[in-house]
Amino acid sequence: MGPLIPNGVIGGGWDFVIAILLGVAFGFVLEASGFSSSRNLAGVFYGYNFVVLRVFFTALIVAMVGLLYFDYVGWLNLSQIFILPTFLTPMIVGGVIMGVGFVLGGFCPGTSFTGIAIGKLDALFFTIGLYLGIFGFSLAYPLFEDFFTSGDMGNVTLMEITGLPAPYFAVAFTVVALAAFWGTMFVEKRVRKNMKQYKF
Amino acid sequence: MNRNYILLTVLMLVLAVGTLFLTTDDEPKQIAPEELLQEIIQPTRYVTTDQVAKMIIQGDPSLLMVDVRSADEYNEYALPGSVNIPLEELLNEGNMGYFGVPGVKVVFISNDDIRADQTWVLTKRLGVDGTYVMKGGLNCWMQTIIEPSQPDADAPSVDHALYAFRKGAQIYFTGAESATTDDGNVEVQVRRREKTNVAAGGC
Repeated sequence: MGPLIPNGVIGGGWDFVIAILLGVAFGFVLEASGFSSSRNLAGVFYGYNFVVLRVFFTALIVAMVGLLYFDYVGWLNLSQIFILPTFLTPMIVGGVIMGVGFVLGGFCPGTSFTGIAIGKLDALFFTIGLYLGIFGFSLAYPLFEDFFTSGDMGNVTLMEITGLPAPYFAVAFTVVALAAFWGTMFVEKRVRKNMKQYKF
Repeated sequence: MNRNYILLTVLMLVLAVGTLFLTTDDEPKQIAPEELLQEIIQPTRYVTTDQVAKMIIQGDPSLLMVDVRSADEYNEYALPGSVNIPLEELLNEGNMGYFGVPGVKVVFISNDDIRADQTWVLTKRLGVDGTYVMKGGLNCWMQTIIEPSQPDADAPSVDHALYAFRKGAQIYFTGAESATTDDGNVEVQVRRREKTNVAAGGC
């Protein structure tokens, strides 16, 4: 049946409608998970709050395992979905930059908007910085262009690189994620014991 | 320890491990290429137009004629009782249900036997038994059943029997008037070897 638009189940005009609905739902879940607080978000780097890890890992494993079942029962053809092309080195560098920005600013791009939505000033300044950064990068793009497009591996997946079937990764990620959930719970308890006051 | 967390952890683990047991065989079941090649070089898949005509006339219930030409061609002319499944729609849902029924001979019919052969290969590859191809297709049908040509007077009697059958089939299928029996005109000329008085060979 799926993907819905490429298979003509629904018309191409629906993608914006679906994008808006998904965006609203995503923002709601981020805010409901406490992601509009930079203290919560930065907590993952200091060890007193691992909600970021839990929420994103949960989303990852639920989506991953769910998609495998969807493919199995025929609701979604996994061979038809779009796979983001991999540029290995630029992605690693980009990840590091994003992480540094995360720990410095206390937000990632998506959560900064949920912060603005509930009126956080730090989120507002983060977003202004975000747009300045985008603007600066766009102007300086010719400088980075060679690096930006280097190491193109195409639309590869882990299964294609390793030759292992998808369920192996699903199980491995799930085990790692679940272990991380329980492990970080103990870390949180220990770190919080030594903290005086913790407010969101 | 929150009991919900334990429950959700176990549930997630079970679901993840469950994916290991999902068999994703998107490929339809196929027979081995060697087997297919073996089948392709066998002429046993061909049935003659006479055999088909005979089965139609006898009302053989085990015969299922599948016309693999386009719907337009099918509407223009088709054998009585044949089902139209164009080659392009062969694998559509529901169409495969016609094939592989025990005891039913499926005969593919097209204008010649190329498209019918292609269809036959497809069904064979999917492991369907009991499919055949009408040799020569409808072109041959026209030449042999609808407008049979009279054999030479000195042709073997088998040919005359076949011709008689074809004439009968022609009447059955076209409603042509039974030709005024001109059997009397058929004179079998018996040529006898002339006796030679002189002994052949040396002695």
